[in-house]
Amino acid sequence: MSDSSSNLSSKWTTILSFGVIALVAAWALAFLGLGQHDHRPALSVLLGCLFWTSLLIGMLMLTMITRVFDAGWAPVIRRNWEFMIGALPVVLLLGVVPLAFLPDFRHLLWEWTDLKHILPSGHEVGHDPILQAKEWFLNEKFFLVRISLYVVFFSVLTWAMRNWSFKQDTDRTASHTHTLHAFSAAGIPLGAVALTMLAFDCLMALSYHWFSTMYGVWFFALSIRLALAATVILTYRLSNGGWLDGILNQAHRHVLGCLMLAFTVFWAYISFSQYFLIYTANIPEETFWYNIREFNPVTGLKSDWWGVSMYLIFGFFLLPFLALLFYRSKIVPKRLLTIAVIIFIGGIVDLWFNAVPRQIVDKTAPEGFTVSPFLCGGLATDLLAIAGFGAIVIGLFLRSATKAETIPVHDPRILESINYHE
Amino acid sequence: MNERNERIFGVACTFRKPADVFHAAEKVRDAGWTRWDVHTPFPIHGMDQAMGLPRSKVPRLTLLGGVTGFITGCLLTWYMNSYDYPLIVGGKPYWSAIFPFPVLYECTILFAAFGTFFGQFILNRLPHHHHPLFELPNFARVSDDTFMVVLEAHDPKFHVDDSRNFLQSLGGQEITVIRD
Amino acid sequence: MAHAHDSSSERPAILDKVRPAELPRPKLILNDRGFHWITDKVCGIVEEPTPLWWKVLFGVALFIASFTGLGLFYLVSTGTGTWGLRSPVGWGWAIVNFVFWVGIGHAGTLISAILCLLRQKWRTSINRAAEAMTIFAVMCAGIFPLFHVGRVWFGWWLLPLPNQNGIWPQFRSPLEWDVFAVSTYFTVSTLFWYMGMVPDLGVIRDRAKTWWRKAFYSVLALGWRSGNRQWSNFEMAYLLLAGLSTPLVLSVHTIVSFDFAVSNVPGWHTTIFPPYFVAGAIFSGFAMVLTLMLPLRAIYRLHDVINQYHIDNMCKIILATGTMVGYAYATEFFIAAYSGNVYEKFAFINRAFGQYSWAYWIMVSCNVITPQLFWFKKVRENHSLVWIICIFVNVGMWFERFVITCTSLANDYLPSSWGYYSPTLVDIFTFFGTFGFFSVLFLLFIRFLPLLPMAEIKMVAPQADPHAH
Repeated sequence: MSDSSSNLSSKWTTILSFGVIALVAAWALAFLGLGQHDHRPALSVLLGCLFWTSLLIGMLMLTMITRVFDAGWAPVIRRNWEFMIGALPVVLLLGVVPLAFLPDFRHLLWEWTDLKHILPSGHEVGHDPILQAKEWFLNEKFFLVRISLYVVFFSVLTWAMRNWSFKQDTDRTASHTHTLHAFSAAGIPLGAVALTMLAFDCLMALSYHWFSTMYGVWFFALSIRLALAATVILTYRLSNGGWLDGILNQAHRHVLGCLMLAFTVFWAYISFSQYFLIYTANIPEETFWYNIREFNPVTGLKSDWWGVSMYLIFGFFLLPFLALLFYRSKIVPKRLLTIAVIIFIGGIVDLWFNAVPRQIVDKTAPEGFTVSPFLCGGLATDLLAIAGFGAIVIGLFLRSATKAETIPVHDPRILESINYHE
Repeated sequence: MNERNERIFGVACTFRKPADVFHAAEKVRDAGWTRWDVHTPFPIHGMDQAMGLPRSKVPRLTLLGGVTGFITGCLLTWYMNSYDYPLIVGGKPYWSAIFPFPVLYECTILFAAFGTFFGQFILNRLPHHHHPLFELPNFARVSDDTFMVVLEAHDPKFHVDDSRNFLQSLGGQEITVIRD
Repeated sequence: MAHAHDSSSERPAILDKVRPAELPRPKLILNDRGFHWITDKVCGIVEEPTPLWWKVLFGVALFIASFTGLGLFYLVSTGTGTWGLRSPVGWGWAIVNFVFWVGIGHAGTLISAILCLLRQKWRTSINRAAEAMTIFAVMCAGIFPLFHVGRVWFGWWLLPLPNQNGIWPQFRSPLEWDVFAVSTYFTVSTLFWYMGMVPDLGVIRDRAKTWWRKAFYSVLALGWRSGNRQWSNFEMAYLLLAGLSTPLVLSVHTIVSFDFAVSNVPGWHTTIFPPYFVAGAIFSGFAMVLTLMLPLRAIYRLHDVINQYHIDNMCKIILATGTMVGYAYATEFFIAAYSGNVYEKFAFINRAFGQYSWAYWIMVSCNVITPQLFWFKKVRENHSLVWIICIFVNVGMWFERFVITCTSLANDYLPSSWGYYSPTLVDIFTFFGTFGFFSVLFLLFIRFLPLLPMAEIKMVAPQADPHAH
């Protein structure tokens, strides 16, 4: 290990402590919000957690997918994913788990768990016939069981993907590659189910009347996009005074650029299809979800959420899409980095769009509710929580990097990966 | 055959292995030739750089086709469903970019594919059935397993004897003069 | 080979530790076959005298194809009432068969385009035949909606052309989107297929002995000279067409799924339909590729270029896409229960336990359960078993479309108008005959065009690397 990379790794305690401080602050705000019956600061913690959960699940899926494909370019990059995904259980344990297990937070965030909560129609949640029809799934006990299962499942899978890969560093055994191949082949379908249910429970169920079969696929698309964007940002830093200095080459960037392009299109395809089918069929049970993201129910005019959705179309899809069409955008490091940062920010906006708007009971409004606004102080706590979780993830990432070789020196495809060319 | 028809197209030289022709191409490039080509049964990886060719211009025609297609789709759907015979169906507006999106999308792809397909043949000057190379007896084997460097007479550096010797120095095997 | 490293700084110390564990990659071409062997093998198929089995099969295929002719003749001369369509099931076999055949086509584009972008070199051995399959399958698919319009001589009203009523096509209808999607798909697939074939047609031209052969293949080869200046444009165009075909193939089955999903019929209106249909299409298409390629490989002794590695990969893709389809079935069921919507709930319970439950369970067992056998290496190595499983998949995917189309229509919102759909003899004849029509086209392709892409196979041979020593 060169001096520069050991310097980088030694910073892990500093970064981790910064993350802990930021996260404690975000949680403190959430507890303050509890007193005023304000769900927004708690939602910030959930958003911060889900943002990094999504990103790390994306990296886990990419790790397994490149294993199954036996991709020759992957090993030098995959090792960094392996370092990163170790943080996944920690992120879940510091965010979603306490939010779900502490009844006060649970009742604030997941309205259906609070049977006394009053709906815009004037009824209590407990008497809502739609909830009664869903009770077999949306009940508190089963919900907590599922949340625990996600933690167990992702802990086991991330442990497996790291364990045998790191082992290969010391014993240079090819059979570990077979073991990981088998784990990945089984892990991809199981992971798909787990991430779908996680998206249903943590995001879709925030607005429990609404449903979409596409939702799990959307979450997968977002996860991979975030993972790739983060990979580009991370490898940019690591190849400038980190352990990928002199190892990461133009062809690696080109692959990452192509994958970012592909998944930008895939995300747009999934998001558009979901919108388009609901728009064209025009069934009220589904359209209300998009309506509260477009109109102010009091004035009937476009709300600030409409601006957010326009940002998603133009800023999160069209801009990166058009930029990535050009060959040079995929190989010039600074350009690729810029596009990755745009996607990274867009991912936060997409989560805002999906998680934040909710109907807030207001007897004076014509339809009995208003929609929680986009522009509010909550945005600051969101960013605080995202930064807090992020620093913890990066701290743990750097710590992992001291535990194993920074590139998988005995991976059967390591030479292919180092010498990879277009 | 009388002398007027004895014009020369160029000199050809065959090679047996991709590596040989690859290195020969690099030397021809470094010698500053412009009117020449390497004929191979399949595209050899990295040959464009070895020959010093610029990136192909086909993508520009693809882009042109795609933009044309998108505009055509917009005009088509707007003219037919909103201008010439406006009709309300399913509570949708007369024209918006959302409901005819599948049509716009398909038009974009169709025209972009036309741009690519015809662009490729135009840039390659095809169809072109009568070419001096086809008169060369061993040219038929180029599509099978033989590699060939052809230096054309149009190149300012071309001189029959010098060019032959040059090809000889590259390690070529059969060297032939191609009549036009 | 020079390493394309960016940083000019000194070599990282960790590179000295790099010592990969031994795990050789599988070979794409066995027995170290050379370039000339590949040319001989592929051109030999076209150049040999017409074999007896070909003549027999061609006759049988023509005979089977005549059933479609008969069915259509009866339909056109009598009316669409001769099909089993009646209220409430207005979309019967015609739509089922259309979606089935279009879906089959998708594997060809997946192999030629998506696997090309993913740089899966093993695709080269099978892509030409798979692309041909795409085009012929789309032709079979086109028959059904064309004749479903009733007065087929007005079929051109689907196109954006002015007619005597002064009315234009209606672009809010998914059926009109289909017209654009399927015709674009057919056109672009044909262009892609033909362009990829031009260099290989040049090879056959260069080997032609008789003048008519020379003339035929010369015209088709357009005077291709395989110069690197041509290859450079060719390769770029090929890559671009692959890049265009990928979103195209996704959009085609997406739009086919829109036919169902933009409605508000329970069981049809579900947002996962687009990717689910695409996965299903690729699934059925790969099964068809294997169904065709396994016998061809045996007949023409292509074991060196289509080896166990290729078959393994195709089996794994079938396994993966079959599992995706299973995921979609499960998600649909889950959301139907989760939604709390009584109609949705009923639609799915009715599928599994109602009057069409037999079709539903055929679908599930063929599509989700049988492909799971491909987890086992032993199964993938037993080619007769692979072939049989692929037939199961083909059957299952036909039933999937049947289940979607018929169960939802036969039992929708109004119980008073429920019914039971059965096809008539005319339906059966028309569908059965399309297999003959498909086979006729495919046999002609085998006989007259290069079955395997020679240039691309040569390209992935180890001796093609200019840096190899």
